[in-house]
Amino acid sequence: MNESASPLQSPARRVAAFSLSRISTIAMSTVTQLVRMKTFYFLLAFALLLFAVGNFNFASSPAQALSTLKKVSFGAMDLFAWLFAIVATALLIPRDIEDRTLYTILSKPVRRIEYLLGKLGGVLIVIAISLAVMFVICSFMIIWQQLGYIAAEYDTRDIRTEQEILASVTLIENAGFRGELIYAAYASFLKSAVVASVTILLSTFASSSLFTIIISILVFLVGHAHTMATNFWLQETDNSLVVQMVLKVVKILIPNFQLFSFSEGIVQGASVASGVLLQMSGITAAYLFVFLLISLISFGDKEF
Amino acid sequence: MKRPLSQVTKIVLVALALSAFGLLRAPWEDAIRDDLVENQLLLPPPAESAIEQMSQSALMGTLGGLRTLVSTFLVLEGFDHFSLKDWEELRNTYQIVTSLEPRDENHWRDIVWHLGINATANMELDKSLPEFERKRRFQQYALEAIDFAERGIQQVPESAIIRQQLAEVYREKLKDNCKTAEVYGDLIGLPGAPEYVRRFHGYFLARCPGREQEAYDYLMALFREGPSQHLPTLIKEIQKLEELLEIPSPERIRAVPRQSPAQRRASKNTLPGGIVIP
Amino acid sequence: MSEELAVEVKNLTKVFPTGLRKEYVVAVDNLSFEVKAGEVYGLIGPNGSGKSTTMKVVLGLMAPSKGTSTVFGYESGDIQARNEIGFLPENPYFYKHLSGAETLKFYGKLCGLRGSELKDRIADLLQLVDLEDAAKRRLGGYSKGMLQRIGLAQTLIQNPRLVILDEPTAGVDPVGSRQIRDLILRLKEDGYTVFLCSHLLEQVQEVCDRVGIIFKGRMRREGPLEELIRIEDQTELTLKGASPELLEQVRNLIESDGSAELVEEGHPRTTLERLFIRIAGQKENQKESA
Repeated sequence: MNESASPLQSPARRVAAFSLSRISTIAMSTVTQLVRMKTFYFLLAFALLLFAVGNFNFASSPAQALSTLKKVSFGAMDLFAWLFAIVATALLIPRDIEDRTLYTILSKPVRRIEYLLGKLGGVLIVIAISLAVMFVICSFMIIWQQLGYIAAEYDTRDIRTEQEILASVTLIENAGFRGELIYAAYASFLKSAVVASVTILLSTFASSSLFTIIISILVFLVGHAHTMATNFWLQETDNSLVVQMVLKVVKILIPNFQLFSFSEGIVQGASVASGVLLQMSGITAAYLFVFLLISLISFGDKEF
Repeated sequence: MKRPLSQVTKIVLVALALSAFGLLRAPWEDAIRDDLVENQLLLPPPAESAIEQMSQSALMGTLGGLRTLVSTFLVLEGFDHFSLKDWEELRNTYQIVTSLEPRDENHWRDIVWHLGINATANMELDKSLPEFERKRRFQQYALEAIDFAERGIQQVPESAIIRQQLAEVYREKLKDNCKTAEVYGDLIGLPGAPEYVRRFHGYFLARCPGREQEAYDYLMALFREGPSQHLPTLIKEIQKLEELLEIPSPERIRAVPRQSPAQRRASKNTLPGGIVIP
Repeated sequence: MSEELAVEVKNLTKVFPTGLRKEYVVAVDNLSFEVKAGEVYGLIGPNGSGKSTTMKVVLGLMAPSKGTSTVFGYESGDIQARNEIGFLPENPYFYKHLSGAETLKFYGKLCGLRGSELKDRIADLLQLVDLEDAAKRRLGGYSKGMLQRIGLAQTLIQNPRLVILDEPTAGVDPVGSRQIRDLILRLKEDGYTVFLCSHLLEQVQEVCDRVGIIFKGRMRREGPLEELIRIEDQTELTLKGASPELLEQVRNLIESDGSAELVEEGHPRTTLERLFIRIAGQKENQKESA
């Protein structure tokens, strides 16, 4: 050992009360962990799925084939994002506790909120990278198919007027790739961020990963249905007071995940205003902030 | 380190914090939701009738935000019913599909095509059924196709492809020239509607009893737009109407028809009366 | 050794609720002790005696039910207190996906080390624990002893004044155990304060300046090791090359003294552990010379 290591008579230098660098250290370690768990092999499966859908010819028109390809791609992206958010978050924290890795981390000058933020950040970075790669893969597939269909339209020059061909090409282009699709991927990202924060909150209470995963998925499902439930039942007058109360409690306690399904609208061709994106980003940030703070009620003084 | 709170205290605190947050965000979220629905970014919940018909797994998937995946899967299933000529199941499947994605005009167009064209054609050919039953079902499927088309148009008012498909059902299967003309008329000016719908509106109006004069005026207006409209069918239709309406000869047209590439080759796509289907 | 206190535990009591009814288990009962800066202090006792609980309270992983615990004057659990501590848990599992060097880098960064300072520190520590060759290997492929050594290196990454070791040689073979013991002695030489828990008395005996014996959550004996294990009224002589005549003379002398009594006589034995290490050492030497 060199001289800098000893002797040890002076107190340690003071550490920052809150440090972004500690959070990023934990986040990057989480990313490494997930990458070395071969998470990204999923992307290969995704590419194969798109290839299969792209070449399975059941659609009645090119526009419909493109629309199906888009729906399957973005549906699969969305599914991957939220499911991964739940499973990865629910597995990583209890695993640290079980393996006592958490002891060694929390016995260093690391705050518990920094640990939670780091874990969440790591999971979200992996989701963001995966979504970005999936977006590139599916954009490539859509554009490739689209160009093929357009070329086929021009091949019918002999039997159709220029106008008719242009009309068909316009239909294909409308159903094909557009830049705004990236916001659909962004919507999935926002959704997965909220799901991850819910899972963190649950995992600070739960004693097992399995329990956390099941309850998180349940919360996720109910979170999609409660707007519907509100529409169906809250407006009916013959419901008992108890049912009405339960529905109201559910609406207040469980996040409204349905809002985050606005990716479906984008995939189907609706355009999205920047105001909407800002609002959704804002509400996501609010969820993350509040849920992490609430997690601290349980995790802040949890004994290991 | 401070003494830890008991688990019960923690749960109460968490519930309180969640409720406070829930009460704060509810109005904000409701406003965003309305905004999203208005901008067609968010779909309204599927109709109650569709929910009742859905299998449990499909329902779970739908509720879990996998609406588009579920509907794509159901479309695949529908394709299967189509290959097996199971028209009842096909209709039920599309009942759910169109309820899940009411804004997707392709679904509406597809079911109109399946029921209005394929199912009816099958009834014309299916020798396993007695004559009267085939006729009854032919009518039933055609009417169901029309019903789907009308609901689709309600959901996607600007859709050209649903109307094109509907027009085909009226034209090919029900041979209802008046209705066909009406639907082509509705198509004019819609985004994505092909150019020929303007002429077709006139052609079928000409075949709708009692509206010949209207058809003549309309087609003449098209004719006057210039040589690009001087297609053989248009000229032939006008000349037929001139005969029928006994138009005085100085007012009759004298034009050399322009040959379109479609007309040069597509003899198979010709309707009775010489109307060429692009 | 200075009089500054590295650890001060006063009247520590820790109770755990069991089941749904209001029943409690007392894990630590009114425990008080001090660890002075620069000394090696061993808390010994059988499994379940409250050692680990005490340690967790000192670390801030648990809160005391009663009493206080401070580290260099900071309340346990305070982020400054934790900055003074390096902790090695029993059977440490670090992230298996990281290599030895990456593990040290991770913990170093958590302690705010960066750049060349961190790099040098990692190199020094890998050398100290003799894992330079395995630095790039993932921990998944490490043996128990290697894990324990990388764990020890990790505890030292930010150069803390206090090193807390929980059963540092549990499950490690005698050679590995000896290496760790040597490392602890080395730490002591370098001026670190070491606070360790163990149920292996012999190990504690070799490295600790002072020990506390804890049983059922209470401190039973405490003090400098020599004092605790010395049998005050007995004296041990070890002779080399003594002839039978000389031994006879000694026996006679003792007999002639009225108050003294010969309690035991025989050849001194090495411990089994020492024997094992000697044999292992000889085997190594033979291999090298061959």
